[in-house]
Amino acid sequence: MLKHTLAIPDEKAGVGETAAIFATLDERVAECRARATVYRLLSGAFIEEASVDFLNALRTPDTLAQFAEAGLRFDSDFLQAPVADLAEALSVEYATQFAASGGFPPVESVRLFGRYKQEPNFQTMRTYQRHAFALRPGRHEVFADQLGVELLFVAELLDRVAAALVDGDEATARKLDKEIKRFWVQHLGRWVRGYAGLIESASQHSFYREMARFLGGFADEEIATMGLAVDDADQSKLVVPKVDVKVEFDPNEPVCNGCVGDAIARQDNVQALHDLR
Amino acid sequence: MQTPKVTRRTFLKVSATAGAAAAAAPKLLTAMEADLGGKDFGPVSGAERKAIPINCHVCNIQDGAIAFVENDRVVKLEGNPEHVSTRGRLCAKGNAGMWYSYDPDRILYPLKRVGARGEGKWKRITWDEALTELAGKLDAAIKEDPNTVFLKYGRNRTGGVIDRFMHTLGSDSILNHTSVCESSKKIGMEPTWGPDIETPDFANTKYVLNFGSNVLEASYFHNPLSQRVTEGRVDNHMKIVTFDVRLSNTAGFSDEWIPVYPATDGAVALAMGHVILRDELQDSDFIQTWTNVSVKELKDHYKQYTPEWAEKISGVPAATIERIAREFATTKPATLFTYRGPAKHMYGSYNEKACMMLPIMTGNVEKQGGYCLPRGMGWPQPQPQPPKPAKHAYMNNHRHPHYPLAGHGVGHLLPFHIHDGTVRINVYFTYQDNPVYTNPGARAVWGKLLKDEKLIPYFVSMSSHMGEETALADLILPDCPYLERWEPESMPNSLWPWLGIRQPVHKSLGESRENRVLMRDIIWKLDPDGKRGMKQFWNFKDGEDYMRHHFDNVPGLKEAGGLNYLKQHGVWPIYGKLNPATGKVSDKTGREIKAEYGLFKKELSAADMMGASVDGRGTIMKNGKAIGVKRNGRNYVGFPTGNRLINVRIDEWAKYGFNPMPTFKRIPWHETMKDDELVLTTFKLNVHKQSRTAAVKWLAEIAHSNPMWINTETAEKIGVKTGDLVRVESGVGYLVTKAYVTEGIHPKTVAIPTGFGHWEYGRLATLKLKGKKGDGSHGEEDPDLNNVWWDDKGVHPNDIIPAMADPIGGSQAWYDTAVKVTKAGPNDKYGDSHGDWDKHYAYFKEGMRYAYTGDMHRKMHPEMASWAGPDSVKHEEH
Repeated sequence: MLKHTLAIPDEKAGVGETAAIFATLDERVAECRARATVYRLLSGAFIEEASVDFLNALRTPDTLAQFAEAGLRFDSDFLQAPVADLAEALSVEYATQFAASGGFPPVESVRLFGRYKQEPNFQTMRTYQRHAFALRPGRHEVFADQLGVELLFVAELLDRVAAALVDGDEATARKLDKEIKRFWVQHLGRWVRGYAGLIESASQHSFYREMARFLGGFADEEIATMGLAVDDADQSKLVVPKVDVKVEFDPNEPVCNGCVGDAIARQDNVQALHDLR
Repeated sequence: MQTPKVTRRTFLKVSATAGAAAAAAPKLLTAMEADLGGKDFGPVSGAERKAIPINCHVCNIQDGAIAFVENDRVVKLEGNPEHVSTRGRLCAKGNAGMWYSYDPDRILYPLKRVGARGEGKWKRITWDEALTELAGKLDAAIKEDPNTVFLKYGRNRTGGVIDRFMHTLGSDSILNHTSVCESSKKIGMEPTWGPDIETPDFANTKYVLNFGSNVLEASYFHNPLSQRVTEGRVDNHMKIVTFDVRLSNTAGFSDEWIPVYPATDGAVALAMGHVILRDELQDSDFIQTWTNVSVKELKDHYKQYTPEWAEKISGVPAATIERIAREFATTKPATLFTYRGPAKHMYGSYNEKACMMLPIMTGNVEKQGGYCLPRGMGWPQPQPQPPKPAKHAYMNNHRHPHYPLAGHGVGHLLPFHIHDGTVRINVYFTYQDNPVYTNPGARAVWGKLLKDEKLIPYFVSMSSHMGEETALADLILPDCPYLERWEPESMPNSLWPWLGIRQPVHKSLGESRENRVLMRDIIWKLDPDGKRGMKQFWNFKDGEDYMRHHFDNVPGLKEAGGLNYLKQHGVWPIYGKLNPATGKVSDKTGREIKAEYGLFKKELSAADMMGASVDGRGTIMKNGKAIGVKRNGRNYVGFPTGNRLINVRIDEWAKYGFNPMPTFKRIPWHETMKDDELVLTTFKLNVHKQSRTAAVKWLAEIAHSNPMWINTETAEKIGVKTGDLVRVESGVGYLVTKAYVTEGIHPKTVAIPTGFGHWEYGRLATLKLKGKKGDGSHGEEDPDLNNVWWDDKGVHPNDIIPAMADPIGGSQAWYDTAVKVTKAGPNDKYGDSHGDWDKHYAYFKEGMRYAYTGDMHRKMHPEMASWAGPDSVKHEEH
């Protein structure tokens, strides 16, 4: 989908190799910049509420045509609403899905650990600092492991890769390419695919539904292209199956007086509590 | 060299003789779990974690705690071993406290409502947008009448910031939550001896009478007090007798659990007093010297309260009352503790007073092992302070015209007064409050009120979480959870007074702001250049700067380092070192530190007496204030009451037609209850508080459902067994829940734990995924909930509990509701809960008949026939 959208030629390399070694320098630079653009586009969709300028840029006929060709199917709520109304509607949808209680914060710590400000927050911040980036608030404060920030970071690295290639600095380009792969394996690859599926199903506005689809497809594409092996651990895929056994306590009983005693515990179909831990 | 042959036999022989040598060998390794605490290490890095002392604030015990921080993230909470009260221990709730900070349902940004109230549709706005909109609303309201700006708080530990804020706005409309908490306990005690709570010296006592407190698990100060209860039991072989409608774990720990009919603890206590006075077991010297009645007056008064009389009312056999009374009076030292059991009734203040009379008449007051005054410390406020508003509000946290003795307010009646138009609102603030869930009537009353945009035109919630009330707000200002804010603390939770702080353990998440900064920013927006005279009261840089005003000049603490000392230790003073062998705090010599007793017997100095005079009752007056009392030729500081004595007779109560002496009033509708009616009571489990813990994963996993306790005999009558669905119907509504059949509850009572059955408070509390798909806006689709192994979130009882107030103390009559319990019908389903506004309103009106201005007041007090009626005191209205 993405390759088609961005007119990227099919790579000739096998799995695990990058197409870069067969492409010309110009093609490689163009690809880096094209990928950076998509990262920025997706970052813009999720890092905070979409601005009028951002929406205007997205709704140009050319861009919409490209989206359509890429298989994105926006509804009239995105295509036909006056831009001010659209911005307002999307700000409500953004708050509902991503910023208010009960939503699904686009934050790696939340998706992987069920809470804000866990290890990914600190790891990503250290990574940004190592590459001399500082995180500043936009319209609102964001976490370092927020989806938009992580995507933006890769976009910045891709720009640096492109610049290194233009400068003929192949070593730096290779180093940065590895950094991007490492960032995908350690962060984006671990959660964005499952998360994109969740937003696609939960969103009530076609903009976020389709941008989530785009995100999911892009992630698949990037992982495949980079030849990475990383499992998505987002909780939208990690479903713990219920164990169909009787346990030595009844969850519907009060926490005290819940034990039913040794007699029942000796029955074959009853599993001792410690076995389940 | 030949190696010795070591068999099992030979090494056992060696071990039998070499024990002393082994004991003398250097021990360089100790098990970490046996260490004192206060330190922690990362299991991967091995590096010592940063330890930041704080005061816990999951509930309101205010335990000393330490937050261990790694990578700017709290990874563990444990007790502060330097804290004299809690001595290095935290309860399960305290251990789980960091979940508030990192909860994915936490509110991190200012949110503005965009749909209908409660619809769950929000827009994230900037602080500047939020403050600008709010300032406009406040401006208009203040111009019309400052008292139309209302602020109701639940848990307020800001150390005076809320009063400062509201007084800066010129509003007197500040309301607390105390009437649903413990107000009638406070009002039963305050006019009698001064403070609003007791400190029983459990560790050193020989006998405990426990009326209606679950002190080991849930009552006030349960962590520090349960430690002392255990010490008293183990080290001092004390006896503990618990009167409770329910076999709580404290009752189970007691030597005797005596089930008592709800609301009749006071009758039992009075009958015990009768026995003590009849049998001359009282401490006559203490009564004569330190109370405002004579022994003869007391004896004459108590003659009416025979054990047989109490047996008929309470169901406690007269012989048991006689025995326990004699045991209590003849075992020295003895103490008594009460919590909600006696106090949360229509006449809870009378019950509380009757209970506290027992340690008073036996002279167990302020003695080692006895019934002691609370110890606390204060701190100064930053200057200047705004003046108190010129105009009184109709009702606030210490005033209600129909409840003039309810010095802690009658907040749970507010919706009815707003509905009637006696209280008018333009801007309604809420801070750490959730009456839509926690108050009587719940969503049927408070939910209806707060959805009404005519009665509540603008509703602002200062909250870190989307509780049932915050979900109805027009504007949400994100407050910080307790681990991210500054607050001063002092709690009388042991016999040693202390000062402490909460301090941010890391930068607040998102854009949340701590309360004092948030309120400062509102004022600065209203008065940017200071010309309105508001800004001068909010002249501080940040939370820490504000705290310096509190603590840098407190005598003693100042010399120790002021706020810097508290930042380092969390608490001051540090009385000694925690002894790991005993769990107690010891001085430098290794001896346990001893509390100071007999506070009322401290003598006034010559300087104190300079310019003082002594009136006919011995009260020592200076500059128009009572500073002590003269007894037996000595000038004592006495008790902190108006006459420095214990007021067994409370003259102020008589002015309003209430019995000034210890008495008991039966709940009128309990007397006429039919055979198939029961009394509904509620209680708290040890891992939850009233409202805010359901979103904490660790705690929710431990306890998440709340079947109704019902006695075996009662359940048999209606054909119900454990797990069956039952319909519980009161005069204002009904609910459907599960039954838990047990011998551990009085046969005429059913009990439902609170803290469950949320319909807001985040995905974990609501478990909406488990129900049918909703509108997609409240986490229904979050697959993380598949990791939650339980399906049952419980059923909340407050919809069907009507709002009634103790006419003296103002307390909500939580444990007086008559209900019918039947097997659920075919159309009943688990979780149904319905309350009816009209019926709640009718109950409110009925309750008002018992206020001193109501027609039932006289009927309930025939002994006060000579009272001149409400018109005789209305002019004294505060």
